[in-house]
Amino acid sequence: MKKTLTILAASTALTAVIGTTAWSAMQGPTDGSARQSAAIFEDAAQALPLILASNDDDEDDRGFRESSRRGHDNDDDDDDRDDDDDDDCRGGAPNPPPAGTVAPPQNGLFGSGAPPQVQVN
Amino acid sequence: MKSLLAALALTTALTLPGIAMARPVTLTTTLNNYGGDGAYLALYVTDASGAYMGSLWMAGTKSKYYEHLTDWYRATGGDTAQVNGITGASVGAGRTLEITLDLADALFDAGYTLHVDAAVEDMRDSPNEVAVPLTTAGVGTAVAGRRYVASFAYDM
Repeated sequence: MKKTLTILAASTALTAVIGTTAWSAMQGPTDGSARQSAAIFEDAAQALPLILASNDDDEDDRGFRESSRRGHDNDDDDDDRDDDDDDDCRGGAPNPPPAGTVAPPQNGLFGSGAPPQVQVN
Repeated sequence: MKSLLAALALTTALTLPGIAMARPVTLTTTLNNYGGDGAYLALYVTDASGAYMGSLWMAGTKSKYYEHLTDWYRATGGDTAQVNGITGASVGAGRTLEITLDLADALFDAGYTLHVDAAVEDMRDSPNEVAVPLTTAGVGTAVAGRRYVASFAYDM
């Protein structure tokens, strides 16, 4: 009997503590100096950096890609460097228009504005 | 009336040589089986002093990788306008890229050099992979590159 009463008392006390905390968090401050618990938690979340438990998502293909990340969005490009239209390089140079869509540049090397003929075998 | 005719004759005389002084030139680049992804290639021309004159072709459409075409990037500052309208897909290992361009005759036998820079993902960059003087004597002569290019030749 004593044991049952002890468990009941403990659970009641625990519930009261949790309930009080939750209730106080939901209530507005009674004066200007107090801050809501929720706001404090928000501030803490903003201050803490996101730390990954694992750095497995780091791209270890140094060289071609490593220095290419400057000013880019670290998107998960596939590695084949074919045209997958991820033109979301904020702040980077735009991708040049491909042959046939605009005239070649007027750099004095081309005799006319004829588009290049390209073939890959 | 006379002055109009004279002006027309003058403009015609100035325009016709310009049209006649260009010819189709085919640039053929064959890559080694280097065992990597598609190669980015920059083909460009420098003058006798080594100064950058302009680009002829860019194989590879994503500008964010152009910095690996080291010499081209240094010469142009990565200005993608240099390759507007002369850009195509990167070239796979073992493949052959053939580009036919209407090039000015003045480029030949005048001290100009055609360069190819190459870069492959996860592999070493290869600036100045190929450097060949543009001469009529060199037409059809295949030259080997340093790392990724098995052969390069230009034909008229």
